[in-house]
Amino acid sequence: MARRRISKTEPSSPEHPSSSSKENNNYTTAAAAAAPIPTPRKPPAQTNDPPIAPAKWCLILKLSLFSIPYAYLLFYHYKIEPELQRSVLINAGMSIAGFLVTVKLIPVASKYVLKRNLFGFDINKKGTPQGNVKVPESLGIVVAIVYLVVTILFQYFNFTADSIWLVEYNAALACICFMTLLGFVDDVLDVPWRVKLVLPSIAALPLLMAYAGHTTIVIPKPLVPHVGMEVLDLGWIYKLYMGLLVVFCTNSINIHAGLNGLEVGQTAVIATAIVVHNIMQIGASSDPEYKQAHAFSIYLAQPLLATSLGLLAYNWYPSSVFVGDTFTYFAGMTMAVVGILGHFSETLLIFFLPQVLNFLMSLPQLFGFIPCPRHRLPRFDPQTGLLTGTKDGTLVNFFLRNLGRKSEKALCIYLLGFQAIACCFCFLLRYLLAGWYK
Amino acid sequence: MKTLNTNTTVFVLANLQCPLHPEKRRNPSSSSSTMAPRRRISKTEPSSPEHPSSSSKENNNHTTTAAAAAPIPTPRKPPAQTNDPPIAPAKWCLILKLSLFSIPYAYLLFYHYKIEPELQRSVLINAGMSIAGFFVTVKLIPVASKYVLKRNLYGFDINKKGTPQGNVKVPESLGIVVAIVYLVVAILFQYFNFTADSIWLVEYNAALACICFMTLLGFVDDVLDVPWRVKLLLPSIAALPLLMAYAGHTTIVIPKPLVPHVGMEVLDLGWIYKLYMGLLVVFCTNSINIHAGLNGLEVGQTVVIATAIVVHNIMQIGASSDPEYKQAHAFSIYLAQPLLATSLGLLAFNWYPSSVFVGDTFTYFAGMTMAVVGILGHFSETLLIFFLPQVLNFLMSLPQLFGFIPCPRHRLPKFDPQTGLLTGTKDGTLVNFFLRNLGRKSEKALCIYLLGFQAIACCFCFLLRYLLAGWYK
Repeated sequence: MARRRISKTEPSSPEHPSSSSKENNNYTTAAAAAAPIPTPRKPPAQTNDPPIAPAKWCLILKLSLFSIPYAYLLFYHYKIEPELQRSVLINAGMSIAGFLVTVKLIPVASKYVLKRNLFGFDINKKGTPQGNVKVPESLGIVVAIVYLVVTILFQYFNFTADSIWLVEYNAALACICFMTLLGFVDDVLDVPWRVKLVLPSIAALPLLMAYAGHTTIVIPKPLVPHVGMEVLDLGWIYKLYMGLLVVFCTNSINIHAGLNGLEVGQTAVIATAIVVHNIMQIGASSDPEYKQAHAFSIYLAQPLLATSLGLLAYNWYPSSVFVGDTFTYFAGMTMAVVGILGHFSETLLIFFLPQVLNFLMSLPQLFGFIPCPRHRLPRFDPQTGLLTGTKDGTLVNFFLRNLGRKSEKALCIYLLGFQAIACCFCFLLRYLLAGWYK
Repeated sequence: MKTLNTNTTVFVLANLQCPLHPEKRRNPSSSSSTMAPRRRISKTEPSSPEHPSSSSKENNNHTTTAAAAAPIPTPRKPPAQTNDPPIAPAKWCLILKLSLFSIPYAYLLFYHYKIEPELQRSVLINAGMSIAGFFVTVKLIPVASKYVLKRNLYGFDINKKGTPQGNVKVPESLGIVVAIVYLVVAILFQYFNFTADSIWLVEYNAALACICFMTLLGFVDDVLDVPWRVKLLLPSIAALPLLMAYAGHTTIVIPKPLVPHVGMEVLDLGWIYKLYMGLLVVFCTNSINIHAGLNGLEVGQTVVIATAIVVHNIMQIGASSDPEYKQAHAFSIYLAQPLLATSLGLLAFNWYPSSVFVGDTFTYFAGMTMAVVGILGHFSETLLIFFLPQVLNFLMSLPQLFGFIPCPRHRLPKFDPQTGLLTGTKDGTLVNFFLRNLGRKSEKALCIYLLGFQAIACCFCFLLRYLLAGWYK
């Protein structure tokens, strides 16, 4: 296995790993896809046994406690129109259904994925018995398909046939679908990293074409005297910004990875923050256009949260499935799209603070100033079961270098905690700067 | 507009009950790469032979899953021919011959009919972008083939078994290249045509979402090889964006001879119309899938039907004075021209002898696109007559699909390596029917006959419309 991996990537330079740019526990996808299926002459005795461990319901139950403050905000704290509350509730109900379907489908899909040799081995368990288990890869495809079905069906309950939001809604769905397609093609065919960077821009085209909203930005009040106007129309530059935001969101999640549950976990945290932000903005605002923008964002973010939790039930430590580039591209695109269409992309970028920091830390290695190894993962010690930080420029290693050796699960919890702190920091910042900033 | 319920209803029932689509040529013994014949057998043992779990497509490619399971031959050094193209070059002669058809088309567009300059300009821009899409497709297919082969998504051509070419690994699922180029062209075209507040934008984006979703599901099917029951459901799922966003008429025009009997001229079907749309999508995708098995047949039939669609659209635009009606047909042209052009790009490699196979990705993508243009252009009954060979093939297949007659794993004709000719079997497919009645034929000649039959069916449709014009509606 290891040698196949090396021979596959030999043609590309070590600074530019041609394999997924995602820091990933899984390092042998391509090799594994090349590996023969072990072939008994008879069908295996356990044809009916599930191929992966069952879902981690305890974890999901603990996380769903967060829905209580959310429901509080939705129903009591803010006075929101019953019409809108109803829509949000219907969407929440469909999202929960999506969650259950995802949890049901992932073991089924895992069977097919394993059969087709789309699996990997968990590097952070190498040396332990679990390091030899074949972990099915690319299960983000299940999440994406369930998500698309939920969001497509939701149109029926919410929008009237002539709503102007229908265009942007369908354009958003087309973007997310196209990104999922390109992400899955990438997982299967393993495209070179240069192509990988372009893929999100291509997938964002439906939105860029259909976007009929404002391309203006509101100048922060302290800068108005210097700039000379309150509102600045960026025109095509705004569309360029949109395109770049999409590339950033997708790839930044991709490189802030490598621990069980990190990719899905960060998505779940950010999606929660997005939904809370939306509810707060709807509650606090009186402009119908503004409220509609944030409602739009909720309708796309709630299903993301729910289906991602379905995946987290299997991907949380210890991972039964891996998510693949399919998931990180899908999630990054969805969050970029809601940020753009909900007109809160700068807030979104602050939610993405850990990803931004990780990206900045990675720059020297990505540019090649510092040698960039094939994997920038921490070192795993099978004896103690702890990870040690390397000198690589990632947030994962930074945390390990400064907090000392940690188990994979504990480290992931720290990182997700940091993600949550960044989101709370954003809310605090908005509160402090309210009125002063805009 | 007459709605065809009978065929589609039967089709649905058939699909629910019967061992469907055994035509995917997954012939284990031919995965004669020394790699994995046994793997193939052990993989399909759990399913009964009447219910092949593999793709329903008549296909030269029979060993995709086995091949995907086979290990990549792994030299320690990169192979010496890293820069050699992995497949034969494009067949430009063929494309040049086919592009002669654009001359009568241009004639129709510019001289025969008086069409508004605005509309002419849009059609021209679309044509230009489609041609660019053609070139990009032709450029990208060899590149993609390299990656596809590396990941063991290939098959062996059954209809060349016994000859040296029967041992060549043919990359599979190249429909993904066509679909991606198509989507990019179609997305970019919005910029040149629609204003931001056009009502067509909703349906356009819904159409793109459908086609994209279908491509995604088709590619997932090619890679993961989903069971046939799921395969039948996939097009309905992919059609959801259109069903949700469709805000057009759900009324049909009763044919004039029937008006006295029915009692009204126009009948509002409501949700039944949406059901019809969903079934049409399932039919179009799967019918192309089962009318396959020869080099170039799947892409060829798509090219013929797409040409007929575009000609029909131009004729309707030219002959009509209702702006709404013209817009519907213009909409169809904008989606059909890129389909035609990118499919020609694939045909350049897939025509006999095939350098690449198209995969379920292509047949699902093409079927969905044509169903979508038929629905949004409001000419789905015309589309169904263009699909006459597919309808006949489906009807012929029914006894075997229902299980009344034994349904073998492959319903392909028999290939004789000595003579290079195909002989028809007793299976109920149009391919075998032609062989039984026309005698033994080479694969290329048979494919040309079948595509000729497709073209005749399209001409027959035009004739029918001409004869019935005024009388029918």
